[in-house]
Amino acid sequence: MAADQDTVETVAALAGEKYAHGFVTDIEQEFSERGLNTDVIRFISAKKDEPQWLLDWRLAAYERWLALDEPDWARVHYPKIDYQDLYYYAAPKQKDGPQSLDDVDPELLATYAKLGIPLKEQAFLAGVQGSPRYAVDAVFDSVSVVTTFKAELAKAGVIFCPLSEAVRDYPELVRQYLGSVVPVSDNYFACLNSAVFSEGSFVYVPPGVRCPMELSTYFRINALNTGQFERTLIIADKGSYVSYLEGCTAPMRDENQLHAAVVELVALDDAEIKYSTVQNWYPGDAEGKGGIYNFVTKRADCRGVRSKVSWTQVETGSAITWKYPSCILRGEGSSGEFYSIAITNGRQQADTGTKMIHLGANTRSRIIAKGISAGHSSSTYRGLVSVHPKATGARNFTQCDSLLIGKTCAAHTVPYVEARNAHAQLEHEATTTRLSEEQLFYVMSRGLSQEEAVQLLVNGFVREVLQELPMEFAVEAQKLVAVSLEGSVG
Amino acid sequence: MTGLRDALLSRDETRLPGRRDEDWRWTDLRGTLRPLPAVSDAVQPLAAFDEPEGVQVRRFAAPVTAGTFDASLSVAAGETLWLLDRVDAGAGAYARDLALDITLGEGATLHRLVLAADSADAVSVTRAMVSLAPGATFHQTVLATGGKRQRIETAVAHPGAGARARLDGAYLLADGRHSDQTTILDHQGPGGTSEQLIRGVAADQARGVFQGRITVAVGADGTDARLKHNALLLSDRAEIDAKPELEIYADDVACAHGNTVGTLDAEVLFYAMSRGIPEVEARLMLVEAFVGEIVERIGPAPLQDAARAFVADQLEALRR
Repeated sequence: MAADQDTVETVAALAGEKYAHGFVTDIEQEFSERGLNTDVIRFISAKKDEPQWLLDWRLAAYERWLALDEPDWARVHYPKIDYQDLYYYAAPKQKDGPQSLDDVDPELLATYAKLGIPLKEQAFLAGVQGSPRYAVDAVFDSVSVVTTFKAELAKAGVIFCPLSEAVRDYPELVRQYLGSVVPVSDNYFACLNSAVFSEGSFVYVPPGVRCPMELSTYFRINALNTGQFERTLIIADKGSYVSYLEGCTAPMRDENQLHAAVVELVALDDAEIKYSTVQNWYPGDAEGKGGIYNFVTKRADCRGVRSKVSWTQVETGSAITWKYPSCILRGEGSSGEFYSIAITNGRQQADTGTKMIHLGANTRSRIIAKGISAGHSSSTYRGLVSVHPKATGARNFTQCDSLLIGKTCAAHTVPYVEARNAHAQLEHEATTTRLSEEQLFYVMSRGLSQEEAVQLLVNGFVREVLQELPMEFAVEAQKLVAVSLEGSVG
Repeated sequence: MTGLRDALLSRDETRLPGRRDEDWRWTDLRGTLRPLPAVSDAVQPLAAFDEPEGVQVRRFAAPVTAGTFDASLSVAAGETLWLLDRVDAGAGAYARDLALDITLGEGATLHRLVLAADSADAVSVTRAMVSLAPGATFHQTVLATGGKRQRIETAVAHPGAGARARLDGAYLLADGRHSDQTTILDHQGPGGTSEQLIRGVAADQARGVFQGRITVAVGADGTDARLKHNALLLSDRAEIDAKPELEIYADDVACAHGNTVGTLDAEVLFYAMSRGIPEVEARLMLVEAFVGEIVERIGPAPLQDAARAFVADQLEALRR
């Protein structure tokens, strides 16, 4: 029965508008003045009641940003962004922070209900006994709306809250780790983020604690001409474990919107962080009008011995994606993993991949990247594996496969390998193919339509990555893959 | 793309390509020529060399200070040519920019062996622009021993249409030498095949670089392009940098690249030593076998012999 329901929903999604999250919430919002200057930064900082050190930090970042040039090495093309034409802060109007869900604007609640994000503390599969639970931090433009399950997490000692709250309640932790993985002037977009970041999640898992539930943040861009600059900081102390999920959507608009986030992960001795992303920002229409510019810096620092970080991403949205979740493998025996599916259709452009920096001995990394291009889109895998002189016994395995659907799309693979240790072993494989006529014919001869056949084969192509996602998200991601490729054949 | 030549001729050091240029990130010529040497036609004397029979030999003498050289060659439709390009070493610090044009007519076949030797202090760039007509076959093997900075670049304009290209190469580097093999294989029309196998060994503080870009243009369907680079690091102070790239704009293609970096297999080494072979010899044997595969792929016997002799000389350098 469940399968039938599933099919009905998929078909309904396919029949209707392709991008199901494209609605706008009509809500009274408060903005900073348009453009970027030190006053705007002071305004954001004041809105968040920030201490002086953080304001100074932001202002210093702004100073550095002015001296930087926008990078142009990625294989993406877009008109120059006018940074003075954006709003850097937008928030739903509210007198005081909501004490409970009852205080939250019903318009907002309706928005999240429509997006299928549980803001009530409920099991993910409502009504199913023993199904896993998710704590959610919902971010709407520049502010966090609500964070669920906080009390239960606190019992385990886990801190999960909006970053602005963490700055207030745990200033020492924030000060110690903020910017320690992605330095302020790491790159143009990270630097911009450091100056104007508005919201994001903060997670701290104390030593020896296995986080009792999945944590997730849901990012929603709503306001017009607004950039979203969230900043996420996750610290897994010695011997701890946490799994974190991130989802993103935005309304359909004809203008491009900027999303420049920074994510920093710190894993101490024997700690493990699993970070999964289902990115479904509005990709723009078939002619390439509108859509999100997704310029994100994500980096994990495996500081401790035997620490482990695993990145899993399903990238189906955004007009332009520029994103390289990376691992610095510093601790002896630490390991990094990167599993990625990047799907581009229409006029989308994606330049994404990872960096695995092997600094410590016996560090291991594994990269599985699957790119699918359709329509007039272009998808690039760009990755670096670097083995430093002290990384004796380091191992890397990389596999990147690209699938092309149609005559007008493009797929590129640009792996960089730098080896400086004679006791390291690095392997890289890449292939580019198209959907095989024979496989399509076979599947269609079994009674599937062409569209269904393509979906089936594509799902087979990306299976290795989907398997890495938590179960409920794998189901969602699978549907997303189907919807993203709708209309790409025939 | 003509950074070294531009810098030498304009006497403008800032035109030298450096690590900030994407295509030169691991072959930084900045600061290697200070001051820029004067360009002249004066060349160093050629060393004795037994020219193999049945092969057209071109020798490129090293300049005394700095030199830019051009040469072109074409193989007429239906003809077959065996070609040996010997880039001679010379002594001391010199700068050389060598630009070669090669054209293959319809159905023509060219077997080209490049023996690139340079002095330890040389800054040397060799660029070959190869253009293939339909049905042409181009087989190339580049053997390089490095310099202060050595780059051997081959760009192939591939029309598809049954033409075939094979770009093989090997680098054997010791001391502080650097060598860069860069290939650009541009599949412009439907029905082309290409294949590349590059093997490299870096000992001491040497640095081996391989960059291979395969592009498949819109409409170049049915292209089959494969590339493989395998490298061995023989020392913790040596470095291997590699970037195999695929840039694909057609959907009906089969393209693949593979890249591995590792070291000699400890078990095999142990086995050889347990049979009474000293470690140095055992290592050389394994390196010889590793690079030997490249030599064995060379079709014409005289070219294969010349390649084998060149490799044998270089293995001696690794022994020290």
